[in-house]
Amino acid sequence: MEFIKLAFHNLLRHKLRSMLTLVGIAAAVTALFSIISFNRGFERGLAEEIEKTGLHFMVVPAGCPHEVASLVLHGAVTPKYIQAGVMEEMQGIAGLELISPMLITQLPNPARDRLDMVYGLEMAHITAIKTTWTINGAVPAGSDGILLGAEVAAHDNLNPGDQIRYGDRLFTVTGIIRKTGSQDDAFVYMPIQALQEILSEPGRLTAVGVKVAQPEQLEEITADLTGRVPGIQIVTMNDVLRSLGTLANSAKVLSLSIAAIAMLIGAVGVMNSILMAIFERTQEIGMMRAIGANRQDIFRIIIKETVILTVAGGMTGILFSLIGAGAIEGFVRGIMPYVPSGRLIRFEPWLAASCILFSVILGMAAGVYPSYKASKINPIEAIRG
Amino acid sequence: MIELTNITKNYVRGAEQVQALRGIDLNIAGGEFIAIVGCSGSGKTTLLHILGCLDKPTSGNMRIDGADVAKLPEAKLVRIRRERIGFVFQQFYLIPGLTVFENIALPLVFNRKPKDRDRVMALIELVGLAHRVKHSPSQLSGGEMQRVAIARAMVNNPQVIVADEPTGNLDTATSEKIFALLQALHGTGLTIVMVTHNPDLAGRVGRVLEMKDGRIM
Ligand SMILES: Nc1ncnc2c1ncn2[C@@H]1O[C@H](COP(=O)(O)OP(=O)(O)OP(=O)(O)O)[C@@H](O)[C@H]1O
Ligand SMILES: [Mg+2]
Repeated sequence: MEFIKLAFHNLLRHKLRSMLTLVGIAAAVTALFSIISFNRGFERGLAEEIEKTGLHFMVVPAGCPHEVASLVLHGAVTPKYIQAGVMEEMQGIAGLELISPMLITQLPNPARDRLDMVYGLEMAHITAIKTTWTINGAVPAGSDGILLGAEVAAHDNLNPGDQIRYGDRLFTVTGIIRKTGSQDDAFVYMPIQALQEILSEPGRLTAVGVKVAQPEQLEEITADLTGRVPGIQIVTMNDVLRSLGTLANSAKVLSLSIAAIAMLIGAVGVMNSILMAIFERTQEIGMMRAIGANRQDIFRIIIKETVILTVAGGMTGILFSLIGAGAIEGFVRGIMPYVPSGRLIRFEPWLAASCILFSVILGMAAGVYPSYKASKINPIEAIRG
Repeated sequence: MIELTNITKNYVRGAEQVQALRGIDLNIAGGEFIAIVGCSGSGKTTLLHILGCLDKPTSGNMRIDGADVAKLPEAKLVRIRRERIGFVFQQFYLIPGLTVFENIALPLVFNRKPKDRDRVMALIELVGLAHRVKHSPSQLSGGEMQRVAIARAMVNNPQVIVADEPTGNLDTATSEKIFALLQALHGTGLTIVMVTHNPDLAGRVGRVLEMKDGRIM
């Protein structure tokens, strides 16, 4: 039997109290790990997603704030439209490999008595710009075919072959997009021309996605474009990365401060619980000194108790975060305007180890005072009772 | 083996000085069984703690086997306690979460000694608790708990057992048995110093010291 076993037994003496203290640490580590892991996942997912869009920049109406422009990528209904004629102007510019018009709007769905979010785009470009999609069914070939996001399909229980009416036109679902975990899931995808016809606004565009033939010429081309076409603004994928990164960063600072507070509360919990324990065990500590323990021995036993508590709490916290990852991500997706698709919170061993280590260091810091106090107990007074 | 000359011990209680021991001269030879008696507050426990190297005298001389220990720092005293002294208390002070075996082996942990299973088992046998090895203290009677405490005091092979009212919490019949156990240990050559309020037990040991107001009468 060593000190560690003694420390372990001491904690088992007040199972409920130790448990509650442990849960306090676990909650804090859950917050810490989830937040860091989520942020890393966010950055990783965002970079991957941008890389996979297959577009180099978006052309949006001038005056449209960057943040909003960035969201166009994931379907945001913006109040402004690109002026007529921009498409034609762009077609005259050399070096553009793909010019893909997009129109995002809401359409009444009379059958369901609500507004659907509709994304108009060039169906022929889908494989080029939505490289991550897997479609059950087919991309519409004609002007009356539509694709559904996974959520829309699941919500309305729609399958390929079903029909939906928008305005005076009847559309047939040709395919369902497999769940992406992003805002893409909530849209109906329609050939852009059909959408413009329903709105009676031929040529209306929310944005134009562009892929250049030679990425090295990107700067040249964007400069050229801004000079030649008035009333537009160019948002490169780097801009998108940066502005969404800023969004994520401000959330990160806030959430990390919450995690820090949680850690602090956890540490205070450890200190309180260990102080109570040594107070109750004063006589026993006196006895141990009499039978041969020195001050350092007592210190070691008590500090080991805090280490056991915090290691166990830390591991429980990691477990909680992994179990709760889905729920946490779902919650954040609900409140953040943009979250990259896919699983964001992952088990990364070094991150888990760092979080546990951090909680142990904090726990030890919280344990130093009680351990010191315990080591200072005067055995004679303690034994006298 | 232990020689005390003119030992005093003062405690500070608030503004007041308590003279717990006022000049103790005492020689304890190896293998003695000594009972300390006296009324409450006479200094018995204080003397016992000094004999057990748990407390330091305020003044005076103390030698163990000729070596001066009166002014040794705590770091040295704790070694003497580990190697030569066994403590037994009125309230037993067993650790509730540990088994009988583990409680007895506890001093070995502090003494950085390997857990000698055979020695611990032999001690359990000696104190008559062979059927209780894996029990926890809460499952034991008072007498059994004190037996565990005595075995624990013995595990480091001490020269001296200091016992502060070891039968103070026990009924007469159980006290007899615990006393018999101490006598048996004494029979093996151990030195025993026992504080007791029981005049009947005190009358049956080798030497009785009566204390009054911090002095031996
Ligand atoms: N830590 C202390 N601080 C102040 N006074 C103390 C302290 N310890 C003991 N005393 C005092 O010293 C005196 C002797 O105490 P001690 O405990 O040695 O007596 P005792 O003979 O063991 O009594 P009892 O039979 O009640 O156990 C008492 O007056 C006690 O109040
Ligand atoms: Mg006493």
